[in-house]
Amino acid sequence: MNRRTLRGGRRPRGALAITLVMTALALIYLYPLILVVINSLKTFSEIMSNVVALPSRLNGENFSNAFTLMRYPNLFLNTLLVTCMGTAGVVLLASIAGFKLSRTRTRYSWLVFLVCVAPMMIPFHSFMISLVKIARNLHLTNSIWGLGVIYWGLGVPLSLFMYHGFVKTVPTDLDDCASIDGCSPLRAFFQVILPLLQPVTVSVIVINAMWMWNDFLLPLLVLSGAKKSMTLQLAAYNFFGQYKIEWQNAMAGVLLTITPAIIFYLVLQRHIIKGMVAGAVKG
Amino acid sequence: MKRFLLTAGLIVLCGALLTGQAKTLKLFFYSPELTDQYNDMARAYQAETGITLDITVNQADYVTLLRAKLNSGDIPDVFMSSAYADNSTYKDYVYDLTNADFMKSLEPSALSGVTVNGRVTGYPFLVQSHSFIYNKKVFADAGITALPRTIAEYGAVAGKLQAKGIQPFATGYKEWWVLPQTAWQVLAPIRDSYAGGYAGFVDKLNSGALKFKDIKEMSTVFDVLDLIKKYGGPKPMESDFNDQCSLLATGKVGIGHQGNWAEGSILKTNPDASIGFLLGPVAGSASKAGIMYDSNQTIRVAKDGSNVPAALAWLRWLTTSAYGKSWIPDKIQQLSPIKGAKASSAQLAQATVNLLAAKTPSYPWFYQMFPTGTEQGLGIILQGYCAGQTNRQQTLDAMDASYTKIVNASK
Amino acid sequence: MTAPALVAILLFVEIPFLMSVLYSFTKWNGLDKAVKFIGIANYAELMTTDPGFGSAMIFTLLFTVLAVAATNVIALLLAVILDANIRGKNVLRAAFYIPNIISLIIIGYVWRFIFSRGFDSFGALTHLGVFQLSWLGDFHLVFFSVVLVTVWQSIGFYMVIYIAGLQTVPREQIEAAVIDGTGPVNRFFRITLPLILPSVTVAVFYSLSNALKTFDVIFSLTFGGPGTATTSIALDIYKTAFSDSRFGYGSAKSVVLFLLILAVTVFQLTAFKRREVQA
Repeated sequence: MNRRTLRGGRRPRGALAITLVMTALALIYLYPLILVVINSLKTFSEIMSNVVALPSRLNGENFSNAFTLMRYPNLFLNTLLVTCMGTAGVVLLASIAGFKLSRTRTRYSWLVFLVCVAPMMIPFHSFMISLVKIARNLHLTNSIWGLGVIYWGLGVPLSLFMYHGFVKTVPTDLDDCASIDGCSPLRAFFQVILPLLQPVTVSVIVINAMWMWNDFLLPLLVLSGAKKSMTLQLAAYNFFGQYKIEWQNAMAGVLLTITPAIIFYLVLQRHIIKGMVAGAVKG
Repeated sequence: MKRFLLTAGLIVLCGALLTGQAKTLKLFFYSPELTDQYNDMARAYQAETGITLDITVNQADYVTLLRAKLNSGDIPDVFMSSAYADNSTYKDYVYDLTNADFMKSLEPSALSGVTVNGRVTGYPFLVQSHSFIYNKKVFADAGITALPRTIAEYGAVAGKLQAKGIQPFATGYKEWWVLPQTAWQVLAPIRDSYAGGYAGFVDKLNSGALKFKDIKEMSTVFDVLDLIKKYGGPKPMESDFNDQCSLLATGKVGIGHQGNWAEGSILKTNPDASIGFLLGPVAGSASKAGIMYDSNQTIRVAKDGSNVPAALAWLRWLTTSAYGKSWIPDKIQQLSPIKGAKASSAQLAQATVNLLAAKTPSYPWFYQMFPTGTEQGLGIILQGYCAGQTNRQQTLDAMDASYTKIVNASK
Repeated sequence: MTAPALVAILLFVEIPFLMSVLYSFTKWNGLDKAVKFIGIANYAELMTTDPGFGSAMIFTLLFTVLAVAATNVIALLLAVILDANIRGKNVLRAAFYIPNIISLIIIGYVWRFIFSRGFDSFGALTHLGVFQLSWLGDFHLVFFSVVLVTVWQSIGFYMVIYIAGLQTVPREQIEAAVIDGTGPVNRFFRITLPLILPSVTVAVFYSLSNALKTFDVIFSLTFGGPGTATTSIALDIYKTAFSDSRFGYGSAKSVVLFLLILAVTVFQLTAFKRREVQA
């Protein structure tokens, strides 16, 4: 708290110049995406003749095309479901385990910790076929719910790593407090500890939700492209394949796919940095 | 959490039971540009029979996905693959169609690519052709009346076009599959130089008795690739399928090596485009210049499922019903392997039919007889050559090494 | 209480991975019902007669060095600037973070559009030589294109890690240095950098393991080409397993990739942690 007010104190010299230069840089940086926006409003022949020019008139036709062709509302819901279910599971499993492993200081718990975070080093492509095999045996394939469950296993390692680091900064006397009250350890965790972990929880949610929203290969393999249970990324990708020559519709499709994630980020932006301070850095 | 897992499991199970009861056939196809046509066919089939076709269409990851499905036991009732070498790749999974009644209604020539030791392992889906496509208006405007057939003639035409300020070729070199199609067409007359034709040639390659570096015709292959690159605009290695189609359609280039499947995309860009096939230059005499014409895309029925009868019924409908017979010529606008099927009105399909009628040489897609995996592997090596990463000798050595590895692995 | 997490990880990552390790000792095309055990033959081939894997290894290492260095330096620079109390810093932070929110498949697709159609238009507009170069077609330049897109996409994430680190630096210490008359550059290297070493450790760790595993951007931007110019180890594994139909051999390569990542990151973590302690 104190630190924040201190930081707000003094503007550096030339602050305005820095803002201007950085704004210019940011515009250049985002220019590829600005081009996507511009071209999503053009007709096909306009794109072919000049990519940089502004559209001669604004029309939303490309968007309504992409919207219906991608079956957007359906897929939006599917993707949201996977993301929510996957993220919720990861937060739950990782917070409990991260807390427990951080507090127990035995050789055994160190080993469990290593086993839990080792997957951060394992490239996905090296085990994806066997993973699909296992998922199939557990009846988790071809289902949005099943995909959500698989994400628990894939998402926990990094999240657990982040919780594990952060828990070290939470004073242990609160643990005792909770147990003296006589409630079950799990309840104590949810009532006392989990709220204290809120900053890192926000980062964990953001990192996992962004990844699950954007993931491609796992949904492709697990849902195997069935129309009913598709996610937005799969649809976008198929859309490029099917309408590869029609840049104008594809650009609109790109925007429809990335906008929800951008809004989600902007809403949570303030918390993300706080969470990073808490989570990653002290890890 | 346990309760939740249980609920999730139950939902999944219910879903599985429900789909089991409904009459649904699961199909796994590629060629996403045909998605609309696939769906139209599925609607017609449902209207006539009440059976739902659940068609999943994928492209870039088709093989990966198919393997994951077959492997994990999530086997689609019907899937697609190439002909020739893929006959043995999927041997453990495909239903033998030799005795299926409707197969008699197909052109025998279309069946050669899917027949192994007299057994028919798949249903030829389309008959396709590839060669150099040219924009007729561009040629007319440049005053080119004699169509090229040899490398020298192609070079002269390219020079003429360039002098008129038109880029002669759209290379397509960014796609790993365009390169081998372009390259192997040059080698097509090789069937006359080996006992047993293509089979004899491929056997020699597979046994190691013949190496690419010993095939003297390979130098013509490189010459053709070099020529296309030389006249392929400022960024020949960045030209992809998209680029080829839109440039051909708008008349910004004169020639591109592609197949008749490109026509839809070309006409989407410019509905008035007037296009045709040129005969591809080959190693050997000009009279051997021709087009590549075959049925490669193959529909396979999975043998282990409970839906084999339903899958066969669908194929029978596709072969004998009024809709089925007209689907490929009218909706897909390509050539059908069904006996007596009407010709498509599409420009490239017509061009193919006319060329065949005029007894122009046509060659099967013999490179599909190379073991599965070599198409991409060798395509990437040829791409490296065109990009200047390797010289001719290094390219040939790399091709031999890659081919040998894949052959050994498939033994 | 750790059991559910452990079960999920074992079930969906580690058991499948161990299955792949087993496959790495077999000759199997990923399809046939018969799997043949061949001992360490796959590993022997990989070490001796596979130039493709060697070049993928070289590409991946060079890519990693350049991408990790560029990402971290630029991200740190941005973080320092956007940590200062300037107007609009939140909007600016968001702007630089946005590419990180977009899926890599879409990023690759968008950049293909920029490199092909976009650069044509830029070139026509500005007549600058850079836009006439074949950024995806020249086998030297394409390396930098892949690095550029990767860095462009990931900077935002690392910037946030560094901003987070900078916010833990006590203001008083900086102000004391200002009073002592230490210049801004000196101030950064003498005071700030040592204090944010934990952030550096984490950011380098993430960027290292991501760079060594790099796949998606290359998959949709160049598919490893032209030729093999941008084939990373992960893409080589993918092609070996699915295009060449050599699943057993692909598994052996992925075990090697795992060991490589493990060795590099463990080395990095211990080295950096030691420095942190000294600082």
